[in-house]
Amino acid sequence: MGVPAVSDQEVFDAFPDVYLTYDNIEHFRGLLQHRLLINRCAECGFWIYPLRPLCPQCWSRDVRATEVSGDGVLYYQTTLLEGRRIDGFEYPHLAGGVELAEQKGLRYLAPIVGVTGDAVEDTPVRLVWLDTTAGPVAGFTPRAGE
Amino acid sequence: MATRSNPIQDQVAIVGVGSAPYSRDSRRSLLDLGLEAAVNAIRDANVDRSQIDGICGTGLGLGIMVTHGPGVLSLQGALGIPSLSWSMNGWLGSHLVYAANAVYSGTCDYCLIVQAEHRITAYSQAASQDPFRLRASRFGVHSTVPNVHYSEGWIHGAESYAAFANRYMHDYGAPRETFGMFAVNNRQWASQNPAAVKRTPFTMEEYLEARMIRKPLGVLDMDLPVDGAEALVITTAERAKDLRPDPVFLHAMSLGQAPVAEFYENGNWGQQAPWKAFQHLWARSELQVNDMDLFYPYDGYTPISLALTEAAGFAPQGEGWRLVQDSWNAEEQKLALNGRTRVHTGGGSLSHGRTGGTNYYTEAVHQLRGEAGEGRQVKDAKTALFGIGSFFHDPAAMLFRVD
Repeated sequence: MGVPAVSDQEVFDAFPDVYLTYDNIEHFRGLLQHRLLINRCAECGFWIYPLRPLCPQCWSRDVRATEVSGDGVLYYQTTLLEGRRIDGFEYPHLAGGVELAEQKGLRYLAPIVGVTGDAVEDTPVRLVWLDTTAGPVAGFTPRAGE
Repeated sequence: MATRSNPIQDQVAIVGVGSAPYSRDSRRSLLDLGLEAAVNAIRDANVDRSQIDGICGTGLGLGIMVTHGPGVLSLQGALGIPSLSWSMNGWLGSHLVYAANAVYSGTCDYCLIVQAEHRITAYSQAASQDPFRLRASRFGVHSTVPNVHYSEGWIHGAESYAAFANRYMHDYGAPRETFGMFAVNNRQWASQNPAAVKRTPFTMEEYLEARMIRKPLGVLDMDLPVDGAEALVITTAERAKDLRPDPVFLHAMSLGQAPVAEFYENGNWGQQAPWKAFQHLWARSELQVNDMDLFYPYDGYTPISLALTEAAGFAPQGEGWRLVQDSWNAEEQKLALNGRTRVHTGGGSLSHGRTGGTNYYTEAVHQLRGEAGEGRQVKDAKTALFGIGSFFHDPAAMLFRVD
């Protein structure tokens, strides 16, 4: 696969504003490798987000950061017109909660790019990597032809 | 119809309320505002300060160890209260639930609750120009929103409320005016409240044209950061009846919570904390939602008020917007839910000012005592229902009644 190795210290250096723990560091390491990793129960397969160390379904602690397909639908959205500074972004911009294809209710907050006109809920979207001044961010864009 | 026992029902009462003036810039400390409200509430209760043996102060974050601010550690000494048997800090509407349980259990007998708020740098960009506010932001005196990664960024911000408002309009066909009716209603009541910071009424057209911040929410959908404070004194119903002829009884209460992500992106409309809060409240009361004279749904952002209106049982999920439209009195520019229940008689967080909802409690006490004043007093008001808290976490559902 050729995924570059990223040390813990490099993750801490890249995300100075994130409360990094043993439960979420793999997710942020993944961002630096352009891989969207979500915690998943290795016993029952349940996806766990926010990134927690216990499966809320079967209480297994065998939880592993696992790459998702990057497909989803736009569950909800808002256009941000003004407000406090958001590192790496300018106003206005579109943001949304993307329901990932892997599991109902599994949503990830992300900037939404490549939308012309008004954003519409339930639009199919796919992962796209945005390299901002605040580091890599997983964004989403409408899937072509859908 | 109650489905379970509720031993605390009507056993704790509010005997004192006090406020400090609301303004955009008081040039006073948070502690100073909290102390003024506290002194007014203790005097209103007609108890001696040495009788106060419980305090619930203002605060999150470092909690009880916050110094200089209006937390219990500073309040007790500053007020000269010699001894406490119960203390903690709290916020939003939940402090009253904590304190009521402490009084009911006998851990304390007379509990003072103080909530002081500043127009802080996290809510107001202009506040960052003020050296006092900027300095306070570093000391845990103000609760602040941390700078976080984009994927964790919607905590306490307007984004999640705006996105849920869009989803609601998409799913149920509601127009934006639904949210505007709460905003116009609250300002209309505030115009009759001398304590309110924003008192000039606006029309629906002006609402729709107001500066947009997070589509579909504009500046008039968002609460008003102010300097101000509120305080309450509560005790047992038995002691309350000896103190004054018009105690306000706490009839039923709950603290709603639904499983929720830290970043506010999980769950759907109808599954969030407000619905849990009222489900547990109504299981503890024989009263009915349509018996309510007054209703105070949290209005930090207007979609929360709509959610709480549905959650309280005024309308089924997804139909609250129709109820709001049917309950609109165009002549008054006010709501009367089902033709009866008045909403935010003091102007709420949107127009009176943001003190985390504690001003709803004090306003309702004035209403239920019949002392709210001309233009604002709701005739013969006997019951008040509250949902104070976020769309996503710990809304306090509370029901006040008087004899």
